[in-house]
Amino acid sequence: MSPHRHGSFWGFIVFNIYALVSGDGGNLTASETPPLSSVVLSSAAFKPGLGSLLSLNLLSSFPEDLEISDYCSQLLLIFGQRYVAYVNCLVPAARPVKVCQNCFSSYGSLTEIFSNISSDQVGPGNVSCRDSLLRSDRLMLVYELFENLKVLWEKSNCNNCITKGFQNMTSDTLHFMTTLNQTLTCFEQYQQKNKTELCTNCKTDYKNLNVLYGGMEKNKTMCIDIEDAMNMTRRLWSKNFNCSFPREETVPVIAVSSFMLFLPIIFYLSSFLHSEQKKRKLIHPNRAKSYSSLMNIQDNRS
Amino acid sequence: MANITKKVSWSSRADESGATGEGTPLLNGSEQPRHSRQLSEGRSIFQIGRLSTVDLEEEITSDEDSLRGRPKEIPHNEKLLSLKYESLDYDNIENQLFLEEERRMSHMGFRCLEISRWVVCGLIGFLTGLIACFIDIVVEELAGIKYQVVKENIEKFTEVGGLSISLILWAVFNSAFVMVGAIIVAYFEPIAAGSGIPQIKCYLNGVKIPRVVRLKTLLVKVGGVICSVVGGLAVGKEGPMIHSGAVVAAGVSQGRSTSLKRDFKIFEYFRRDTEKRDFVSAGAAAGVSAAFGAPVGGVLFSLEEGASFWNQMLTWRIFFASMISTFTLNFFLSIYHNKPGDLSNPGLINFGRFETESVAYNLYEIPLFIAMGAIGGLLGALFNVLNYWLTIFRIRYVHRPCLQVMEAMLVAAVTATVSFTMIYFSNDCQPLGPEHTEEYPLQLFCADGEYNSMATAFFNTPERSVRSLFHNQPGTYNPLTLGLFTLTYFFLACWTYGLAVSAGVFIPSLLIGAAWGRLFGILLASITTTGSTWAVPGKYALMGAAAQLGGIVRMTLSLTVIMVEATGNISYGLPIMLVLMTSKIVGDYFVEGLYDIHIKLQSVPFLHWEAPATSHWLTAREVMSSPVTCLNRIEKVGTIVDILSNTSTNHNGFPVVVQVAGNDEPAKLCGLILRSQLIVLLKHKVFVELARSRLTHRKLQLKDFRDAYPRFPPIQSIHVSQDERECMMDLMEFMNATPYTVPQETSLPRVFKLFRALGLRHLVVVDDENRVVGLVTRKDLARYHLGKHGLEELQLAQT
Repeated sequence: MSPHRHGSFWGFIVFNIYALVSGDGGNLTASETPPLSSVVLSSAAFKPGLGSLLSLNLLSSFPEDLEISDYCSQLLLIFGQRYVAYVNCLVPAARPVKVCQNCFSSYGSLTEIFSNISSDQVGPGNVSCRDSLLRSDRLMLVYELFENLKVLWEKSNCNNCITKGFQNMTSDTLHFMTTLNQTLTCFEQYQQKNKTELCTNCKTDYKNLNVLYGGMEKNKTMCIDIEDAMNMTRRLWSKNFNCSFPREETVPVIAVSSFMLFLPIIFYLSSFLHSEQKKRKLIHPNRAKSYSSLMNIQDNRS
Repeated sequence: MANITKKVSWSSRADESGATGEGTPLLNGSEQPRHSRQLSEGRSIFQIGRLSTVDLEEEITSDEDSLRGRPKEIPHNEKLLSLKYESLDYDNIENQLFLEEERRMSHMGFRCLEISRWVVCGLIGFLTGLIACFIDIVVEELAGIKYQVVKENIEKFTEVGGLSISLILWAVFNSAFVMVGAIIVAYFEPIAAGSGIPQIKCYLNGVKIPRVVRLKTLLVKVGGVICSVVGGLAVGKEGPMIHSGAVVAAGVSQGRSTSLKRDFKIFEYFRRDTEKRDFVSAGAAAGVSAAFGAPVGGVLFSLEEGASFWNQMLTWRIFFASMISTFTLNFFLSIYHNKPGDLSNPGLINFGRFETESVAYNLYEIPLFIAMGAIGGLLGALFNVLNYWLTIFRIRYVHRPCLQVMEAMLVAAVTATVSFTMIYFSNDCQPLGPEHTEEYPLQLFCADGEYNSMATAFFNTPERSVRSLFHNQPGTYNPLTLGLFTLTYFFLACWTYGLAVSAGVFIPSLLIGAAWGRLFGILLASITTTGSTWAVPGKYALMGAAAQLGGIVRMTLSLTVIMVEATGNISYGLPIMLVLMTSKIVGDYFVEGLYDIHIKLQSVPFLHWEAPATSHWLTAREVMSSPVTCLNRIEKVGTIVDILSNTSTNHNGFPVVVQVAGNDEPAKLCGLILRSQLIVLLKHKVFVELARSRLTHRKLQLKDFRDAYPRFPPIQSIHVSQDERECMMDLMEFMNATPYTVPQETSLPRVFKLFRALGLRHLVVVDDENRVVGLVTRKDLARYHLGKHGLEELQLAQT
């Protein structure tokens, strides 16, 4: 296959997609049009026989049986709206991470519409939108878009914090949040005053929080929101307020270890001085002393 | 001292032979074998006696002339050969009994033998895998408990103060475990100390190390290894697996246990040194394979260490044993890890998978790898030299068991102390990973949510530390941590190897190498501009590990394959090979490999692959022992008993000579008989007179010799009455009628080749008329070695 034929092939596909999208009409925004048309233009350069851009746009639609039904396009529209809503919710919740607690409901509605699309249920007009929307082309745009968000959701372990059916946050999570707030208010309370005071006074709250977190860690009931909140709190505690344990027992540790290190020296010295050195008894093997002496002996013998 | 006793014994024997000699003219007659025997025997003994005394006197005078005041007792050093080591009888004894048995055996019988060889190899693999699995699980459980307790303690005391108590707790824990391990080794089975690889190397080389393949040794070895690894010493459990595999092989192939006094009446045919040694090589291979998940590496290990005599079928069987062993380990570990059927734990040490994408190497990295090989060779040589001096000191001064136990405990306590101090003063804090790759993260003074990075290296079993050095993300360790870790662990490992505990040196070497290799990679990434993209620390850690291990043990082919198999990445073959080659070349320039040093220090008569260079001028005449104690074909029982019970000359093989009828010609060689055979003959009282009187007497079979194998009773336990002493023994049927002989002018390398290739034990040196002139044994050959000043000769010593 020559590169030229490749190029024309891809060009043709782009052209098809463009035709499909443009057939849907109003979804296209003005900003998207120029790059698309340029692609089409470049493809048209390969296939000048197909006519100009204008004539392409005028080609209003494919025959009846290839078009998607109204029902499906309706579903697609709703999917788009909910998708936008979820992403709009996600982006502001990126830092500090609150993607689970803020956006679980919009994610729930998104999954709902997607499961509607992907079900084999036949909608009105005896059509299943699964095939036409999800897998009638190479790009599989709808599927890919949803899949990306699903991966994000799974990576953030949000399922651990949200009840089944995306109704609410789990009680564990809520409990953690209240404990966290308690600790943070305590921090705020003493922040302006002495740091050491903060360390002593907020210690119980902070410790409770840590214990709670440790328990959740063990049960695997954590999501990214909790992890991140805990990380931030720990950082506040250790780095900003410097409440970690100080290294203050250097002297006893050094004393004990130097004592330990001293023991082998004594051991080796004493075994060198007091232990009896092991001697080996040499043994002289019987050997023919030299050829001449052996010959002499043999001569004597015979 | 030895000379005096020798003289005494000779004088007594000379009297005796003189007495018989007096009677000879009267009783001369060709039809009476007994009398002619007596004559010849008396004469030959007399001659030998005369020769020997002359010889001895000469030697004493020359000694006194040249080296006046030379001590007869010298401190232990490496230039000695111990008398306690004997050769294995690898050469088949083709006597008449053997031929008869072969004639009786049907075609089917040989088939069955072949099949049972396969069965034995399968069993060896299976049991070795099981032992490896047992060790692994017990170590993991016990170490888990230990680290958990110490960790909780440290956490508690970080908060309230008193960390020195945690330090003491850790040290006491370590010492307690190590004490148990050292006591069972030092008091019950000292041969189980160390990794066991030197001993197995010697065994495969053809040296019979006393008690090395006993059941008791295996038990002590397994227990000792568990104790020393759990005790936190800088040791691994991989080396001892090879020894364990060898013991399993030696035990299974015999179909009985002499220690337990159980005889299963199976595999009786394999009860001789030839077969046993073949199976032991299979066991060693199975051990390597279980330890590293490297079946091919195991086969090559046996080939490299033991291959003087090798055939394809044996190799194939050994490979089978290796495969079975790694599969067994795999299978049982998968059950232990609650993933039955998942066969992805191929060895005790698991290097983890090196994914090809992130750790691919480039052509321009090859010189870097070679440089790392050179560093590894240098560090390995340093390690070996330090360990050499330490071992000499230990042999000379720390030889009492109680001292050995104390030393091991001290090492354990110091290891804990040093580790703790390093962790305590380390400022290297790293955030906890998402998957918790750190088994026992210690926080200590780090911020919450972070852990002390020094603790992942020290506060862990060495295997895990190796794996985290290979696989942790770049940036997990900072260079200072790695540098300090390398330094301390280097000295700790060097100090630990050679203690009276069973433990291997593989893992500590890998760990040291991985630490400095990773350091190398980090520095590389920081000094080069593009380095951060290709200088993946894990890759350099692997190369460093290979270099360090190669620099210490100096294995070549097998180690390359083991490393490649353990990493599971065939594309690392070339760099690993280059690294190992360089490290061996560089290291050999300074000092030998660690195992060879220890073999030398144990005064083992070890035959290397080749005779020392520049030894062609030495002939068999200079090499051989002479004169030789010969026996007549029909010999008086009393004489045999006397010869065997002579403690000063603990000979094992006796040339059998026959007198040419009727004249004064010296006797000619007609065969060779072994001490063990003579003892069995004496025990069963196979005397000419008794055979005549009791016609129904059962004929001695090869089975009787096998039943006595391998622990032939000492001569003292065999009672021979005064009447029986006068009886005669006909050795015709039992001696090896066609022993290997060489003429006197044969050069040393030729003799050496015969020994090495045929696995000989005795080589008779004859003159042109087939008269026995001398006898070459392993010790005669092994005493020549190439030293710094040309060819040097080792001295024989009693150890």
